[in-house]
Amino acid sequence: MKAPLIASGFVLLGINFAAVYQPEPNLTLAAQTVSAAIGMVCVFLATRKQRAKSTTPVLTQPIAPPPAPPRPEAEIAAFLALLQEHGRLVDFAKEDITSATDQQLGAAARVVHSGCRKVLNDYFDITPLRSETEGNAVTLESGYDAPAHRLLGSVPAIPPYAGKLVHPGWITNSINLPRVTGTTEKRPWPVLAPAEIEIK
Amino acid sequence: MSDFIGIDLGTSNCAIAWVGDTGHPENLPITQAITASSEGEKSLLPSAIYLPAEGEFPESSSRQILGNFARERGALQPDRLIVSAKSWLCHPHADRRGQILPWGSTTIDRKLSPLEASRDLLAHLLASLKNSHPNLAPTNPVITVPASFDEVARGLTLEAAQLAGIPEATLLEEPQAAFYAWFENQGADWRKQVQSGDLLLVCDVGGGTADFSLIAVTGKDGNLALERVAVGEHLLLGGDNMDLALAHDVSEKLAATSSVLDDWQFLALVQSTRGAKESLLSDPSLKEVPIAIPTRSSRLIASTLSTTLTREQVDQIVLDGFLPLVAADEMPALRRAGGLRESGLPYAADAAISKHLARFLTRAKANITSSPQLLESVGGSAKIDSAPLLIPDAVLFNGGVFNASPLRARVLDQLSRWANRPIRELEGARPDHAVALGAAVYARLRATGQGLRIKSGTARSYYIGMESTGMAVPGRCPVTKALCVAPQGMEEGTSLEISDQEFLLYTGETSDFRFFQSEVRAGDQPGQILPDAAELEESAKLQIEIPPPAGHQPGEEIPVHLQARITELGHLELHFLHKPTGERWKLEFNVRMQ
Repeated sequence: MKAPLIASGFVLLGINFAAVYQPEPNLTLAAQTVSAAIGMVCVFLATRKQRAKSTTPVLTQPIAPPPAPPRPEAEIAAFLALLQEHGRLVDFAKEDITSATDQQLGAAARVVHSGCRKVLNDYFDITPLRSETEGNAVTLESGYDAPAHRLLGSVPAIPPYAGKLVHPGWITNSINLPRVTGTTEKRPWPVLAPAEIEIK
Repeated sequence: MSDFIGIDLGTSNCAIAWVGDTGHPENLPITQAITASSEGEKSLLPSAIYLPAEGEFPESSSRQILGNFARERGALQPDRLIVSAKSWLCHPHADRRGQILPWGSTTIDRKLSPLEASRDLLAHLLASLKNSHPNLAPTNPVITVPASFDEVARGLTLEAAQLAGIPEATLLEEPQAAFYAWFENQGADWRKQVQSGDLLLVCDVGGGTADFSLIAVTGKDGNLALERVAVGEHLLLGGDNMDLALAHDVSEKLAATSSVLDDWQFLALVQSTRGAKESLLSDPSLKEVPIAIPTRSSRLIASTLSTTLTREQVDQIVLDGFLPLVAADEMPALRRAGGLRESGLPYAADAAISKHLARFLTRAKANITSSPQLLESVGGSAKIDSAPLLIPDAVLFNGGVFNASPLRARVLDQLSRWANRPIRELEGARPDHAVALGAAVYARLRATGQGLRIKSGTARSYYIGMESTGMAVPGRCPVTKALCVAPQGMEEGTSLEISDQEFLLYTGETSDFRFFQSEVRAGDQPGQILPDAAELEESAKLQIEIPPPAGHQPGEEIPVHLQARITELGHLELHFLHKPTGERWKLEFNVRMQ
């Protein structure tokens, strides 16, 4: 980390030197000076940060410090990877089922069901939105939680709305998804399932 | 505001719990790798360490992965996976400081010792705790160990804690921790379930181990006291054995229809039989549960096998195989019939937990009968003479296996048959997380002195081997006698000296020291000499050269006194004291058994 600092220092000095001895200083050179200075400050900050880090007591088993936050797509790919790992969801959706028997589909569905259920239970706290049983009468007063309700059929202009509960809805009370680590420029999101090779 | 921390360093899973000055303890989530490219928090840390191949995870700098992902990844590469490090820690014939794990692995060049593996698990728990709660200042965290851990395994656990950066940790027996958790959770109501004169069995069956303890309730009304009066032997037998046995049965059924499973399918089968078993045990109306076994191929629908797990299988294998109803004198087979055994962990040879329970209760009775003081604690000989076994009045269940009520019912049924009277269950147990929670409660209790403490002390009595004096007889080795140096029930922070006897110590040349222990001789007093050590269990052997004290020549025998001390942390130390010079030598108990 020291070498780039010194190097950029020399570049800065050189540029300044050139600027002083150049009778007509041009804009490009000034821009270069500024950018080199910014670069140097950045490098300085980076080294300082590193030095500061190395003086703090190192935990015996360091948990990697969070790197730059991954792109939101990475979180989605990671979640899909969990559903694939435990519930084989990608395999299931991508397979051609036209010639599969219902018995085969049923067996595969058990794998998908138990795995996806595990993922949902592990990382979400999912409960029905409404406690009434399906088919029961429900009345929505004015000021009801509109985004959490979908009205079907012929809806009057103003509440109250009286109707029948067709689906109680779902809500997750918490989301506790794993944080994505180790994404790179080259691979901005994790693979959904690694290729598997059995070593003989 | 103080913070009290309890750590359950389990054979299969670790957990950590916190409690403040007041209020109930809670489990703290543990940060760990969830997949190759993500980390998150879970309430349990699987006690698994995966050692990746060079370049296997290029983005990660760590040389090993612990927890959830380690277990999942390692299931497919058992050669690189360390599990059950704790069982290795108490394996008397293993080199517990040697780089032997993963056991039998031929692909790893950097193995870990059982001590290091335990250290790394503890360090991970500590790092996760510091990361998520940077302001937490725990004093004297409590780490739980099986009641069956001997002094060597306890010493190694403390050493692992020290290496992990928890130097001031205290140990607590797991069944006691489960009891503290129950007790705390019950509040004042616990007296409704327990009364003076009761003998309580803590029956703890985890994933890979079974651990029993007996706690006596003594004292007058309103002033109850608790005393742990017996602990069991270390049993490598638990819920995982049940799942494995069921999976083998299902797999044989499949093989009959010419579907032979590969290794990965078998792992998947173990997972799904576990789920199916739990469904059958929790819902008595189910006759059978379908099981689907996927392959590794991406063609999921075309290649998934389906079969069923039936109630008969669960009844036969889990209930009648692991918890058969047996007579009180049916003892477990202690060794397999074969003359040679593959080296590795000493798994229980007999799967019948009820027979192991019979053996425990028989030995517990022998232990208590040997000590007038203990006999009084459990209510006198009249109470215990009624049956060949020591029968508890109530049972506290712990361990994931006992989430299933039919298994709890079976244990109670077995005890009731032995007792000829109904044996009750202590209501309100939390089989999954109780140990860490109870450890946190105990940490608070220790620090504040507020609350009821189980009187326990050392679970075993300890002995040192002594060469007997006698005339030489050709072809006969002199018998090794055993000198009791620490009686059962010796409390933390106490020491004793065998002051009325002098012993002769060889100095200046290497000599052997042999250590023995017993969990059934509560009556033995310090200084008592047993004529033959062969009736005890040998726990450690040490080869050491003790330098002669000033003014003495090497090879000289010097007169010494013996002192034993249980440290505040619950670790046994032995000292030889040479009174004329005031010199003393400490003997370490955590040494390898040859």
